[in-house]
Amino acid sequence: MTSGFGLGLRTQHYNDFLAEPQPVDWLEVISDNYMVEGGKPLVMLDKIRANYPMVMHGVSMSIGSINGLDKEYLRKLKILEQRVEPMWVSDHLCWSGVHGRNLHDLLPLPYTQEALAVVTRNVEQAQEVLQRPLVLENVSSYVEYEQSEMTEWEFLREVYKATGCRLLLDINNIYVSSFNHGFSPIKFIEGVPVESVTQFHLAGHLNNGDHLIDTHDHPVCDDVWDLYRHALLHFGYVPTMIERDDNIPSLPELIAELDVARAIANDVLNKKIAL
Amino acid sequence: MKLAELQNDFQHALFDTECKGVDWISESARGLSARDRLDIYYNAYRIRLIDVLLDTFAHTAIYLGDDWFNQLAGDYVQTHPSIHKNIGLYGKDFPCFLAEQLPEDKEISELALMDWKLRRAFDGADSAVMIQDDLQQLASEGSSIYLQPVPTLTMCTQHFNTLDIWNAINQGQTPPVVEPLPEPIDILIWRKGYSPHFRSLARIESVAIACVCSGGALEAIGAVLEKDFPDVDVAIEFGVMLHRWLDEEIISI
Repeated sequence: MTSGFGLGLRTQHYNDFLAEPQPVDWLEVISDNYMVEGGKPLVMLDKIRANYPMVMHGVSMSIGSINGLDKEYLRKLKILEQRVEPMWVSDHLCWSGVHGRNLHDLLPLPYTQEALAVVTRNVEQAQEVLQRPLVLENVSSYVEYEQSEMTEWEFLREVYKATGCRLLLDINNIYVSSFNHGFSPIKFIEGVPVESVTQFHLAGHLNNGDHLIDTHDHPVCDDVWDLYRHALLHFGYVPTMIERDDNIPSLPELIAELDVARAIANDVLNKKIAL
Repeated sequence: MKLAELQNDFQHALFDTECKGVDWISESARGLSARDRLDIYYNAYRIRLIDVLLDTFAHTAIYLGDDWFNQLAGDYVQTHPSIHKNIGLYGKDFPCFLAEQLPEDKEISELALMDWKLRRAFDGADSAVMIQDDLQQLASEGSSIYLQPVPTLTMCTQHFNTLDIWNAINQGQTPPVVEPLPEPIDILIWRKGYSPHFRSLARIESVAIACVCSGGALEAIGAVLEKDFPDVDVAIEFGVMLHRWLDEEIISI
């Protein structure tokens, strides 16, 4: 029941994964880090892929850009997808720049019918190239727009319905955004169609008192673990991973944190079955 | 407000010289003001790109010290919007920028160029490398031999003791005082196995490598060397060079 717990593959842990089998069911690789011409990144990727299932997670597709998708980026992503043969390919429901500029950030979209049409067009283009459903992650955000016509979870639901894409729910991002904007994270979770969710992310954030920053440099906090419990109750079993991008601890420490997720999932899902 | 206008305005706000208030971000009843919320993205954009420069130009950053490097990196970020999907390519023009900004300290741009080329060699294209047996096989076929450099091979020219400065920094030592070289030297940079490598080139080898890179046949390269270095026994020198190139994995099949 609780198989399917992964970690993000980070360079600091290459040797751990090469040295001996690790208690991790799959690994998530940042696609952009391996969309390179050659060298050590691809050698390590191939060696570790030989022993672990992988999923690919991108940060630069800019699926909400009014300018459409970068064809060269999609071409390189497809080449990597054919190399890795991942279980799924994900990126973020955001935009990252327009007119040939790249802001290297996951900028939130206004939740409007116009943005929905743009995202739908772009998701269809990506899915045509990848020949598989794209998986889109909710981003953490610090701004909301005057123009928005619906909630973020309503927008996610509409994107799913319009494109057949799947969703990667980042539980920490839901928590961070709900704190920053004052909405209910429970309403968010309950507003997302159960069948649409392919993966959960768990991560840590920085608490600045009056706002939270999604830093991925802390352990998962208690409030996010609580929200994870609620997500498990709503969605049932969903493959889950812990994302750590800065202040990266040893692999055993991360695996211990992943074990917390396993234990919570076991507990929640066993109780759910008993009910 | 249409999406195109919003994305254009948001991007412009992040590129601006200061973070100004905008009217399309909702004022929230809780937490930060709209301007402070935009400021999070404004600062994150700069911090992220400066961090990339710091990572790519690690030796240059140590040589300059934190304050000076951060000031120059911040000026670069302000004047050079990223045009790359791959954030690792953002520093492409940083060595030129340093040369323009610090015309009296040219060793700094040379140091940065070396940092940049070594980083690019790290994940440059792979190729099968030529070994001694491959060369002998080609020689036995009797036709002209054309050598092809590995895709990561590149050169840069230094006019100062930049190589010594780079090496000292790399070993955690105090770099030597900058000095101009009696003559410029060429530095060869490539990847062997997983690791970027570099070394300085004697003049004759630099000419030979340039000939290889421009696609000259082996005998044509020999002829160029004999013409340019009449006092050298080119047959012996070229043989030593070839042997070394194969050992160092700078020739591809």
